[in-house]
Amino acid sequence: MSWEFFLVTLITIGVAFGGLMGTIAYLILVERRLAAFIQDRYGPNRVGWAGLLQPIADGAKFLLKEDVIPGYVNKTLYILGPSIAVFTAMAGFAIVPFGPVDQAPSWMRFVIAPDVNIGMIYIFCVGSLGVYGVILGGWASNNKYSSLGSMRASAQVVSYEIPLGMSIIGVVLMTSSLSLNDILMHQAKFGILGWNVWTQPLALLIFFVSALAETNRLPFDLSECEQELVGGFHTEYSSMKFALYFLGEYAHIITVCFLTAILFFGGWQFPLIAEADSAYLGATLVKVVVLLTKVLLIILLIMFIRWTIPRFRFDQLMNLAWLGLIPMAALNILVVMTAKQFDWPIWTLPLGSLAIFVAAGLIGTSGKFIVSDQTVDFGESPEGYAHVHS
Amino acid sequence: MNWVSENIALIGTLVLLGANILLLFPSTGRKSGIPGFLLLPVTVAGLGWVFLQPTGDLVRDLLFYMASGTAVLGGLLMTTQRNPVYAALWFAVATLGVCGLFVINSAPFLAAVTIIVYAGAIVVTFVFVIMLAQQEQGSGYDRIPQQPFLATVLGCLLVGTMLLGIEKTFGPDSSRLSVDRTALHVSSLPVENDLGSPGGVGRSLFTDYLFAVELAGTVLLVATIGAIAIAPRRPQGSL
Repeated sequence: MSWEFFLVTLITIGVAFGGLMGTIAYLILVERRLAAFIQDRYGPNRVGWAGLLQPIADGAKFLLKEDVIPGYVNKTLYILGPSIAVFTAMAGFAIVPFGPVDQAPSWMRFVIAPDVNIGMIYIFCVGSLGVYGVILGGWASNNKYSSLGSMRASAQVVSYEIPLGMSIIGVVLMTSSLSLNDILMHQAKFGILGWNVWTQPLALLIFFVSALAETNRLPFDLSECEQELVGGFHTEYSSMKFALYFLGEYAHIITVCFLTAILFFGGWQFPLIAEADSAYLGATLVKVVVLLTKVLLIILLIMFIRWTIPRFRFDQLMNLAWLGLIPMAALNILVVMTAKQFDWPIWTLPLGSLAIFVAAGLIGTSGKFIVSDQTVDFGESPEGYAHVHS
Repeated sequence: MNWVSENIALIGTLVLLGANILLLFPSTGRKSGIPGFLLLPVTVAGLGWVFLQPTGDLVRDLLFYMASGTAVLGGLLMTTQRNPVYAALWFAVATLGVCGLFVINSAPFLAAVTIIVYAGAIVVTFVFVIMLAQQEQGSGYDRIPQQPFLATVLGCLLVGTMLLGIEKTFGPDSSRLSVDRTALHVSSLPVENDLGSPGGVGRSLFTDYLFAVELAGTVLLVATIGAIAIAPRRPQGSL
């Protein structure tokens, strides 16, 4: 623990934190412009050139607005809620490499905590604490809609943590390591064909869907759906505390996109320009740019999904996790384990994924096992309605 | 009386702890919990003074004091909270403290898994159930402990017995401090940097303790099947 180590860590934290905050500010602008594009509107385009100064105006507004704490809330937990949301989202980023770790310049490291040997488990560990932000905020608000939102959030997050964790076990088995950088290097060694997306397409699907649910993004934002719950768990929040919840959500999304890019799309690896052994001048910079481009593309995909797919009903959401994703993830682990144990050729893995996916689809649409689409006449009796929604 | 004078520090701390818990308990007569909270730092410091010997490594000691203090404080406040939501939250804090101890003793995997399972899932389920069941503050008999004195005395006695037992077995005077590993039939001792890592824990679980792991797995499977069998079946599905 020398002074240089300390200084390098501080610089790395500064770069990561500053980059994250700036990106989040502009992601909100991108999201609003994209929403406007999809809904055939203009979106915010008045502040600065094409609305580029809008995030600064938004930030100033958040900071300068009156900080309202309603009189009927539980003050301690009301303030603790957004703090936990931001803290866990930021702490999760600590082990995510945002560049080629072994080619880092001497004054920076490209990952805040390099030697965490539990790797991915750390992210799940911190992420599983993130639900407290939503639960405490909703409960402390002393508002029925907030409570309903936070109860939905707790059930949803606890359920989707299981497929999220199970989906990456296949990837971890292929690499024999939990460290994100090891997983990245393992893919980079084999070029574009070594990306885990070719061998683990089903794991990617499960991971991505569960991650969307974990971040409370549409189509899984049951905890804050405006049409049913006003604002959900953050109904009573305003000004900077509301902004903190948003900040936590976007930081969570960025972490998830980094994870997707690193676990399944080879991280900074790209054919010809950024291979594992390319060491020309500026190769480090090119690799960082490649990784960030992949992350940006995945973020844009998430934003497109938000304005494309409608929201689930709550029982559909639960059934998707427990009847769809978890059995598929378990079978996927089984396929990877068997293939690894008996040294099956690598092309059996995508075939296995495809087989599981097709089988799940056939079972799901055959009508014999459908439990989610109950056709209940809501108009007939109030008990029928209460029955389905209890 | 010889034994009492030998262990006067332990007994004194336990009495202090019991008095503090009694003061912290909510009761109908006394509105303010301030004396209990004022006594709290004294109790924690007393516990530390009796049971903690500094190892010489300042950073490690500080981290240990922080983690163990968090765990003890969280446990104390969990048992004495009037509001069940607060109690559940203090339980989560106590779990985090214990996980800090795991990390200090180079078991990061155990710490992470404990946080995921306890703080991340079980306490969340507790809070979920509490919020579902109890929108108001609860009825009068729910809000005060029924046998505070007896419960405190018995609890402190239990803690004292456990501490004495641990000290007799693993304390500095005991001869069993260095456990004879060969006597335990442990075949694959993890190498030094493998200790507590996922790989080390996994190797140990699936070689030395394979039978116990399989047994636990079977019991859990049976319990799961039983839970599914007991759960009510409705014509339109069970949700």
